[in-house]
Amino acid sequence: MLWRMAWRNLWRHRARTLTMLSAVALSYALMLVAFGINDDGHARMLREAATAAGGDVLVHGQDYWATRASDIVVRDADAVAATVARVEGVRAAVPRVIVNGLAGTAADNRPVLLQGVRPELETELRDIAEDLTAGTFLTGSERSPLVLGSRLVARLEAELGARIVLTGTTPDGEVTRALFHLTGILETGTRELDEVAAYTTLEAAQRAFGMAGAVTQIGIVAEPGVEAEDLAARVRAALAAAGAGRGLEVLSWREAVPEMVALIEIDDALGYIFLAVIYAIVLFSITNTFLMAVKERVRELGLLGALGMPGRRIGRLLLHETVLLTALAMAVGLAIGYTGHRIIANVGIDVASMGIEEMEMSGVDLGEMVMYSTIVPARWIIGSVVIAVATVASAVYPAWRAARLEPAEAMRFYE
Amino acid sequence: MSETRTGPAFEGAATTTAGRPLIRVRGVTRVYDQEGVPVPALRGVDLDVVEGEFTSLAGPSGCGKTTLLNIIGALDRPTAGTVEVAGHDLSRLSKGEAAAFRLENVGFIFQAYNLVPVLTAYENAEFTLLLRGVPAAERRRIVVPLLERLGLADLMDRRPHQLSGGQQQRVAIARALATGPRIILADEPTANLDSASSETLLEHMLELNRDLGTTFLFSSHDDDVLGRVRRIVYMRDGRVDHEEHAVAVT
Repeated sequence: MLWRMAWRNLWRHRARTLTMLSAVALSYALMLVAFGINDDGHARMLREAATAAGGDVLVHGQDYWATRASDIVVRDADAVAATVARVEGVRAAVPRVIVNGLAGTAADNRPVLLQGVRPELETELRDIAEDLTAGTFLTGSERSPLVLGSRLVARLEAELGARIVLTGTTPDGEVTRALFHLTGILETGTRELDEVAAYTTLEAAQRAFGMAGAVTQIGIVAEPGVEAEDLAARVRAALAAAGAGRGLEVLSWREAVPEMVALIEIDDALGYIFLAVIYAIVLFSITNTFLMAVKERVRELGLLGALGMPGRRIGRLLLHETVLLTALAMAVGLAIGYTGHRIIANVGIDVASMGIEEMEMSGVDLGEMVMYSTIVPARWIIGSVVIAVATVASAVYPAWRAARLEPAEAMRFYE
Repeated sequence: MSETRTGPAFEGAATTTAGRPLIRVRGVTRVYDQEGVPVPALRGVDLDVVEGEFTSLAGPSGCGKTTLLNIIGALDRPTAGTVEVAGHDLSRLSKGEAAAFRLENVGFIFQAYNLVPVLTAYENAEFTLLLRGVPAAERRRIVVPLLERLGLADLMDRRPHQLSGGQQQRVAIARALATGPRIILADEPTANLDSASSETLLEHMLELNRDLGTTFLFSSHDDDVLGRVRRIVYMRDGRVDHEEHAVAVT
């Protein structure tokens, strides 16, 4: 009976019900869409952060990551890489030599971040060649090839084939110089990176900076679905078991770029606060509307009491109305939210068209300047439960007021 | 003070003042607090109503008729005095117990019909049975004959706004009678009806009083109605002023 009465009561004031329904539905849909965009952005940030860090898990000489000191290296790199590659969940172990140095031409000298890499292994993490605007990415026969960021090339006033001298420090602390030839030009989309990025082959870098058999970093790419922290623990154990753990540090990307983790958490918190403020306004209006409804129907609710309906049951009638309204509004909101998610997931929102040139956070390039949407079921479910509970709870006070009405007084109301 | 009057043949159940009254009101006062100002509505009312009586409260507006009906129906509490209805001391009932008392013992008919607007005539009539948890088949067995008897057989599926005032008031009677209450309390039940509807309604009330022995206590200003009642309790300024007992002329 309560459900039937509640349903019919809802539609007695069609305009009012539709107003409340649309407020709940639209704010719920907004929340779902915001979740979708946030979660996709965060997932992209996580991927980009891991890529920018150099892998899901990083192996360095002890304290390298904190100090970036050139004398801290991974010696016997091939053996360490082979041990790491055998760990369950590792898709690839990618060795790198990293040198902070200077690139010089007749025109200028500029600071560079040189990475000596194995191109065929780097593709497990990212395809750097995708950013090429000219030349090739370390695939030619050139013995000392060099690929530079476009802005750096411009500063050095260099062209493909140009001779470029790199100056850096060896692990022994000696400053050394080596000659390279420009074989490729990159445009990463990140201004700062294009100012300093420099790549050569692992062997050329080892040869130039006295690092035979040694590397600065082994980046580990995880199999899909493998948590970086779990993998880092397994790698530590494997290196210890092989007797190669001493003098090495193993970091998950979260440990390597904690500022990115904090940024995502702050972004999440801000998103929740934003949604909470919007929804608080909606809930306030719902409570207010239900209070008005109680006041409008005080005589009728008093009648129910006069006929012998217990107060708590009268209160429940109002709660039933709210439950129905909430269920209906959330069904509509889910349809709108899911449609919005599908559109954004497929078409995307072109941030560049809004005048934002780069999407970069904490030095991490977020790649394409288009926002997409991803459903994380747990977030949608928890968010939906919170909305449902909060909406129904907004009618508790009006229901309590209705339950406490004195029948005789209520029926005298408006007489 | 009690008077007698003559009138047409009375169809209501024969009443007796012998035995314990179904309604016993003693020294009841009711003072309302209106923004700090005490406003007395009842100033010491004594009244007995025996089971099966068909009694009307009469008197000018504001004399306390509605307040007295509300107190007898456990919708309101007296400021002082005692009210005993069907063996229940109403002053001792909690809010929940008062609701249960009303559901079990009293049927209400209001001046403004007061049907639940979202329910059909049938659903309104079965409403109190629903509150008592009576199964659907049993509800139908009770309610359909009642509505048929009140001339509403073809109007059961209509909502209140689709019924005339007289029809709504008859639905209200069906609702009041559905649980088989011992007492029907009616506050100006004919006040909003035209004379024909008023007459029809009164006929139904008298018939039900006669056939089912239900006690009716109601308030009215209507001389035509009062002319058909065996016992009239006149009130003035919150007190019982006098009573009239009619003697039938056949």
